[in-house]
Amino acid sequence: MAAISESSGILTAVSKPLRTNQEGNRPLLHGLWSLEVDISDRSKNIVAASNRPTNSKCIYQCRCIILFLGLALWGCSGQQSALEPSGEEAASVAQLFWAMLGGGAVIWLGLMALLATAIRGKLGPIDNRAATQLVFWGGAVLPSAALVGLLGYALWLMPGLRPFANSGAPQVIIEVTGRQFWWDVIYRLPGGVQFRTANEIVLPVGQRVEFSLKSTDVIHSFWIPSLAGKVDMIPGRTNRLSLVATKEGRFRGPCAEYCGTSHALMAVEVTSLPVQEFALWTERRKQPSPGVFAPGSELFEKHGCGSCHRVEGTSAASRFGPDLSHLGSRNTLGAGILPNTPETISSFIVRPDAIKPGTHMPAFDMLPPDDIRSIAVWLKGLE
Amino acid sequence: MTRILPSETDSLWTLFTAPVIWALHFLACYVLVAVHCQKPGVLGIGFSSVRLIIAATTMAALIGILLSAWLAWRQWGYGRDDPPHDDPTLRDRTLFQGFATLLLSGLSFVAVVLVAMPVLFISECLR
Amino acid sequence: MNTRARSSAPPGKAQEQRLREVWRTPSGWRYWTSVNNVDVGIWYAGAAFAFMLFAGVLALIMRAQLAVPDNDLVSADFYNQAFTLHGTVMMFLFAVPIFEAIAIFLLPPMLGARELPFPRLGAFGFWSFLLGGVFVCGSIFFNAAPSSGWFMYPPLATDEKLSGIGADIWLLGLSFIEVASIAAAVEIIVGIMKCRAPGMRINLMPLFAWYLLVVAGMILFAFPPLIAGDILFELQRMFDWPFFDPARGGDPLLWQHLFWIFGHPEVYIIFLPAIALMAMIVPTFAQRPIVGYSWIVLAAVGTGFLSFGLWVHHMFTTGLPQISLAFFSAASAAVAIPTAVQIFVFIATMLAGRVVLSIPMLFGAGSIATFVIGGLTGVMVALAPFDWQAHDTYFVVGHLHYVLIGGMLFPVVAGIYYYFPLINARHLSVRWGKIAFWLMFTGLNVAFFPMHLTGLRGMPRRVFTYPGDLGWDWLNLMSTAGAYTFAAGVLIVVADIVRPKHGDPKSALNPWNAGTLEWISEPEEMWGVRSIPIVESRYPLWDQKNLVADVNAGRFYLPDVEEGRREGMVTSVLDAKPEQVIRVPATGGITMIAAVALAAVFLTLTFKWWLAASLAGFATLATILYWLWTGTAEIPKKAERDAGLGLVLPLYTSGPASVGWWAMFITMTGNSTGFASLVFGYFFYWTIHADFTAGATGPGLTWPLISVALFVLAWGTMMLARSLNANGSVGLMRTILVTSSVLAIAAAAAALAGPWLHRMDPVAHVYPAIVWVLVGWTVVHAGLGVIMQFYCLARSVAGRLTPTHDMDLRNTCLYWHFLALMAAISGAIMGLFPEVGG
Repeated sequence: MAAISESSGILTAVSKPLRTNQEGNRPLLHGLWSLEVDISDRSKNIVAASNRPTNSKCIYQCRCIILFLGLALWGCSGQQSALEPSGEEAASVAQLFWAMLGGGAVIWLGLMALLATAIRGKLGPIDNRAATQLVFWGGAVLPSAALVGLLGYALWLMPGLRPFANSGAPQVIIEVTGRQFWWDVIYRLPGGVQFRTANEIVLPVGQRVEFSLKSTDVIHSFWIPSLAGKVDMIPGRTNRLSLVATKEGRFRGPCAEYCGTSHALMAVEVTSLPVQEFALWTERRKQPSPGVFAPGSELFEKHGCGSCHRVEGTSAASRFGPDLSHLGSRNTLGAGILPNTPETISSFIVRPDAIKPGTHMPAFDMLPPDDIRSIAVWLKGLE
Repeated sequence: MTRILPSETDSLWTLFTAPVIWALHFLACYVLVAVHCQKPGVLGIGFSSVRLIIAATTMAALIGILLSAWLAWRQWGYGRDDPPHDDPTLRDRTLFQGFATLLLSGLSFVAVVLVAMPVLFISECLR
Repeated sequence: MNTRARSSAPPGKAQEQRLREVWRTPSGWRYWTSVNNVDVGIWYAGAAFAFMLFAGVLALIMRAQLAVPDNDLVSADFYNQAFTLHGTVMMFLFAVPIFEAIAIFLLPPMLGARELPFPRLGAFGFWSFLLGGVFVCGSIFFNAAPSSGWFMYPPLATDEKLSGIGADIWLLGLSFIEVASIAAAVEIIVGIMKCRAPGMRINLMPLFAWYLLVVAGMILFAFPPLIAGDILFELQRMFDWPFFDPARGGDPLLWQHLFWIFGHPEVYIIFLPAIALMAMIVPTFAQRPIVGYSWIVLAAVGTGFLSFGLWVHHMFTTGLPQISLAFFSAASAAVAIPTAVQIFVFIATMLAGRVVLSIPMLFGAGSIATFVIGGLTGVMVALAPFDWQAHDTYFVVGHLHYVLIGGMLFPVVAGIYYYFPLINARHLSVRWGKIAFWLMFTGLNVAFFPMHLTGLRGMPRRVFTYPGDLGWDWLNLMSTAGAYTFAAGVLIVVADIVRPKHGDPKSALNPWNAGTLEWISEPEEMWGVRSIPIVESRYPLWDQKNLVADVNAGRFYLPDVEEGRREGMVTSVLDAKPEQVIRVPATGGITMIAAVALAAVFLTLTFKWWLAASLAGFATLATILYWLWTGTAEIPKKAERDAGLGLVLPLYTSGPASVGWWAMFITMTGNSTGFASLVFGYFFYWTIHADFTAGATGPGLTWPLISVALFVLAWGTMMLARSLNANGSVGLMRTILVTSSVLAIAAAAAALAGPWLHRMDPVAHVYPAIVWVLVGWTVVHAGLGVIMQFYCLARSVAGRLTPTHDMDLRNTCLYWHFLALMAAISGAIMGLFPEVGG
């Protein structure tokens, strides 16, 4: 536990200069909060944080801080602890865990006391009948009773954890497809509106959303520990998951089923926003980024990036690789593995395989460095 | 009662009666639900009927296990002798078998009850 | 009883010398042709331990890589190969084989037997295991190791580009080892049921034997589903049959079902034998009989059954209906009850005795302390809602290592310290033992306890690196430190085992004052027991006065040699009444040759050298036929043998009285489980598709039913042949036997005609593919049936099968019962099911 407080201590030290360097106000506080929560582990921070006001600007502010801190602190992109729940299911399950942990500790300590007594022979040899009674009560009756109770608890929890809306009810449906090694995301909003993004998910707080989970290559598993348990993405099957985020926050969701060489380098960044801000966010996502008209788009098209990627508002429309329409506004690059800067974008274009072994994107190290730089800057501008 | 039930058999297999009943019960529950949830049309019944069938299967399984337990109890000499039954005699070997079968019946009984518990709580396939 | 034993004439030194000569292990290079259970057991254990150390080194490399975030000590690809091999090797090349090794080494002396009933089969199993293991492990030095995880989930593992040749190496190398495991299971079951010392009724059997009986039974039902899965998997990889390809009607989930129907019982197959060792160690060091012998039997049998109702708890996150998950949660919870019983039996025994805290007991206590933690977290992950969070995270890594190290490795190390005097009459060091224990115990807890927290903080399994600052850094560093501490402990144990001990004092014959029979056997002697005793107690060495002296003076059964043969006794299942004197084969290299030939089959298949593979296949068949011809169902020169103490027993039995019949019965039970798994696959595809034939034509009704009719006829004529032979009509029997073969060949042709004439293309869709697999299974088994018939014919012509000595014929009939049943079921399913039920 000492280590935890220590790491928060360092964190506070790092954050202090930030506070003085920038115009500290609500957004900045939010940004700092993200850092603290994401990196430290104390649940009281979460509780405090949930009361804090926030808006979409905060996210951008936070991102600036990440940029400022660079690689070292990119963990700011989200936290992923199942023990610090920000969703209904995660909270119920965390409660179940603490209950089981308590019970388990009592059982273990009791058994160890018994074992120690037996080894030290303090009781003296007990008679055969008493020993058999111990086996009967301790080995059979007690566990049976405890298990009936525990199973009842879990079964009682199960139906309520992932209810699915009745057909016809308006609901946000997010279709996520696992790919080696990134996430293809399609939002289907009530009223038939839909748009596409990749490696990021934004959710409304307090509203139940439904995920439709698929895969087109190998098995992946979709998991946002702070919100809910995982569900596999299996080729040929469509799995469903429904969840409610109860708090605003930023979370990280790793791929939880081994999916090949870079399985470790596949995560999705998740943000939960108040309903109005979520609506604003979807509004912006439905349209092309204002940045598409900036210089760089012609290079993007000329070098054939459009044969794999799609950017709304340009002729690039392939769905083979991640959708880059609003790449600039994402916090991370390469499915949650790098901070999102023109530099990292450039290095990814040059040698994707060096950053993410086994990726299906070819290297573009034969392109002129200036062109790559321009494309990277342009992509970063797609906010 | 004693006459209806089979007389004592001299076989190792009677030991496994109760666990086999558990296995059949488990398999029946699993297959029924798997087919019902995957192909709702095939069976043509609702989930409440599935629950009823499982309840009936469970009752049948529990009765079967009780029967096996009763036979085992009889073989154990109605508990007149205490374990460990470690004499090198036919009698002790038989008593041992009876007692072990009785214990296995007890475990199987609890296991069947545990396996049937889900239908008390869960009322649809819920995919 | 003993008065009878003592009244017999005092045996001479010459007798002892004759016995020693017959059981002598050859020297020089011929040493490796030994089939004696003591030699094979030690080789087996040594090889398994070597594989364990290799997998341990891989684990240390992995822990070094994970010590700090964003580490680049090893490449992603190497890491993935390493974790795949670590899991695979620990499971298939250490945990299961080490129990087979211990069983082969310990069972005969523990049961008061000279040998297991099929020594060559045991040796064959060992050589298969060694070759397969070296093949799988060696692949990493060519950067060709499997890298898709020890569970080999398709489509990752079926995709040639993503998984390379590693997946073939895994599948073929391990199929080979699975065959070896099933061979060991047959050997162990028959050994325990039929080769116990006279008087050892089932209520007197050592608990180790009870556990091993259950475990071997579990292997019969657990391994075949995996072999069936392997067949489907390799057919997809080699010939593109789409069993797991959703685009053509397949489903990756079928593999998961088949894998875990094997995989979960596997955990208990590993755990129960280790607990069996504890059940031998605890009474010795409590110096009293175990409390609740019947309770242990309950626990072993109960666990054996319940463990088959848990497999879906490895699939809680695959999106199956919640009600299905709930059943498996319930069964997973239930299995905790027998496990708790076992723990309490040990504690109660200790409380009822006076505990000597020796090194084995220290490891035993450490085992209980840590295994219980693994058990408790096991109950946690058994509950589906919690598993949705914990599944595939470091929580599970922590849980499974507590279970496997606490529940398996610690008891095995305890067993090594306990039984070492039985291997070479020396003790391992107490001082170093203590140091090793505390290093291992501390290391285990420091390495794996933090992992529970790491996992709940969101760290997934099987990641070659991780980002910093997610709250995992110091936890991982701790785990790495713990892992190296643990390794230091293991190293001390290994060093103590391999160090020369010529200077050490020799240990006494029964140094711990144990009560069970294995402590009679002298490490220098290869005969198991000098004479086969009459057993009257669960702890004969405690309760039967002068037993050791009488046994070692040759005052019991079979103290002498006849016709220079290795001999043992066969007794009845329940009461161990003497039934037969069995002659087991002595030293011979044929098993090694058979294993090499079979290895060649698997090796050539890996590289798709079809011609070489078929040549190797013929070589294997020829070798095995030679082996059977020369070493089995031998007609003795005289019908009976005086076993001593006035007991005269037959030397030849056939039918259910013979061990060969039991071996066939057990093998075919396992075989049927494999068949049932394929049938499960057939219906699985039916459930997941609205129309599972996808509009493709089936094999029709006619040909499958003709095939069934012909198979039934062939079976009927086979039965007729047996009774004709028994009645002495040998000539007619031979004619009928040939008729039966012709009918069988016609039946197989009819089975093939259905899908062939309807032009069913197995590459196009999963329906024709699974139909072809069922047909293929039937045809291959029919082929084996015909080979057996011709074998019987040849034996009859050669005078090795007569009306009174008809073991081969009766075993073939038994095979045919199973064959006819499988053929009837597959014909009926293919012909009737999609048409009628579809």
